[in-house]
Amino acid sequence: MGFEYHQPSTTAEALELVARFPDAEIIAGGTDLMVRLNKTRRVPPALISLRRVQELTHIENGSGLRIGAAVPLRDVATHPAVAAGFPALVDAIRVFGSPQIRNMATLAGNLCNASPGADCAPPLLIYDALVELRSAAGVRELTIEDFILGPGATALEAGEIVTAIRVPPPPPAARSIYLRKGRVQMDLAITGVAARLEMDGATCGAVRIAAGAVAPVPRRLPRTESVVAGAAAGAETWARARAEAQHEISPISDVRASEQYRRHLTGVLVERSLARLASTNGGGT
Amino acid sequence: MKVEVGFRLNGYEVRAEVEPHLRLLDVLRDTLGETGTKEGCGEGECGACTVLVDGAAINSCLFPVCEAAGTSVMTVEGLAEANGALSPIQRAFLDHGGAQCGFCTPGIVMAGVALLAENPNPSDAEIRYSLTGNLCRCTGYVQIVAAIRAAAVATRGERGD
Ligand SMILES: Cc1cc2nc3c(=O)[nH]c(=O)nc-3n(C[C@H](O)[C@H](O)[C@H](O)COP(=O)(O)OP(=O)(O)OC[C@H]3O[C@@H](n4cnc5c(N)ncnc54)[C@H](O)[C@@H]3O)c2cc1C
Ligand code: FES
Ligand code: FES
Repeated sequence: MGFEYHQPSTTAEALELVARFPDAEIIAGGTDLMVRLNKTRRVPPALISLRRVQELTHIENGSGLRIGAAVPLRDVATHPAVAAGFPALVDAIRVFGSPQIRNMATLAGNLCNASPGADCAPPLLIYDALVELRSAAGVRELTIEDFILGPGATALEAGEIVTAIRVPPPPPAARSIYLRKGRVQMDLAITGVAARLEMDGATCGAVRIAAGAVAPVPRRLPRTESVVAGAAAGAETWARARAEAQHEISPISDVRASEQYRRHLTGVLVERSLARLASTNGGGT
Repeated sequence: MKVEVGFRLNGYEVRAEVEPHLRLLDVLRDTLGETGTKEGCGEGECGACTVLVDGAAINSCLFPVCEAAGTSVMTVEGLAEANGALSPIQRAFLDHGGAQCGFCTPGIVMAGVALLAENPNPSDAEIRYSLTGNLCRCTGYVQIVAAIRAAAVATRGERGD
């Protein structure tokens, strides 16, 4: 017996360890896992760390981005291609935890933890991100919708690890944003809204809207999107989107906010994000 | 079963025989006797355990000691010079009353060191943002922000720019 801390340096080695020690837990940044272990004073049989797996520590910028599962959020936010093409992700990382947390936490860990309020999930939803999963048997890719199944539940199977998050290149004229409200910065979101909008003159073109912390899983709001797509840009459309979003979500009341307040605030953020994206100097925060 | 972990600590090579499930915080305090780094919450919220690993501020209560192997760790003990002369940021915390009970201070000072290494001329808003992960129950933060602002000036002065 005895606890072992494994530090593989290649993906192949990591997968071999994961297959060999089915009771071991995977650790990336540790910002969820270590809190859980510290709180319960539990020592798992073994940890398999991804931090030193070389192949997982890079961001590849080819046709879209491939963000390795061991890249800390801070390096995601400061990567020039992320800033240029995926500002909603930069917005999310900017409000994420603290500098210390951003130096450790990973995108893949944020999705694997599958919190309804995971801040990186709404931006990744509007960017059509794919989760790359690998096991000894091979590789598969899932959309965020197919990967996050419920609070704390994912499609990750035994013997599998997430090796990267892939994001296709954004449409050239699309603008995007993530707005979130928490009680204070160092707290989970009460609600968070990511939106991406393409304008066609004074008319809204393709639009994507996703919200976190207002349903069992972070999710797109297709009914709200259809209110906006093809409608005239302006206060009237934004107000209709706000009303639709308030109905479309299914929030709960908890210590952070009541259900009603979450509905109200999510509507406000939908309206505000669309207005900002459509204004001439929109985009960014 | 214990394992040997070696890293640079404040410029010196250290090696320790440790239980591999321990956190860097435990080993710094209990094995190496460097008790400047504090444990507040043990959950990543308070920042009292902040140290730099390869220059990046992290919560040592969430950092497995095995991840420190081969890295360069800096704690509050590494700031003063060998003769005891304080670093500009330590001096500034004294001059501006940036510490009261002092429990949060080592972590806040290390967060400040990380900020100034990255941004030698931060605005007050940037200083406050950089302290999101550090709680102080005594000072009300005003003196802490003033101390870091002064440390920035002193550090730039020393570098002659
Ligand atoms: C003080 C504090 C503030 C926080 N603030 C925020 C915030 O503002 N917004 C937010 O959304 N979250 C926040 N979090 C939660 C946490 O930081 C994030 O969920 C983070 O992204 C988790 O990533 P990680 O790499 O640290 O995951 P880890 O803790 O390493 O892992 C989390 C879980 O995912 C599994 N896992 C991780 N990577 C993989 C992989 N590649 N393949 C398979 N399984 C994997 C682990 O086994 C574990 O079960 C905060 C946490 C703390 C402690
Ligand atoms: S003790 Fe590490 S953040 Fe509080
Ligand atoms: S000085 Fe007491 S907690 Fe900050």
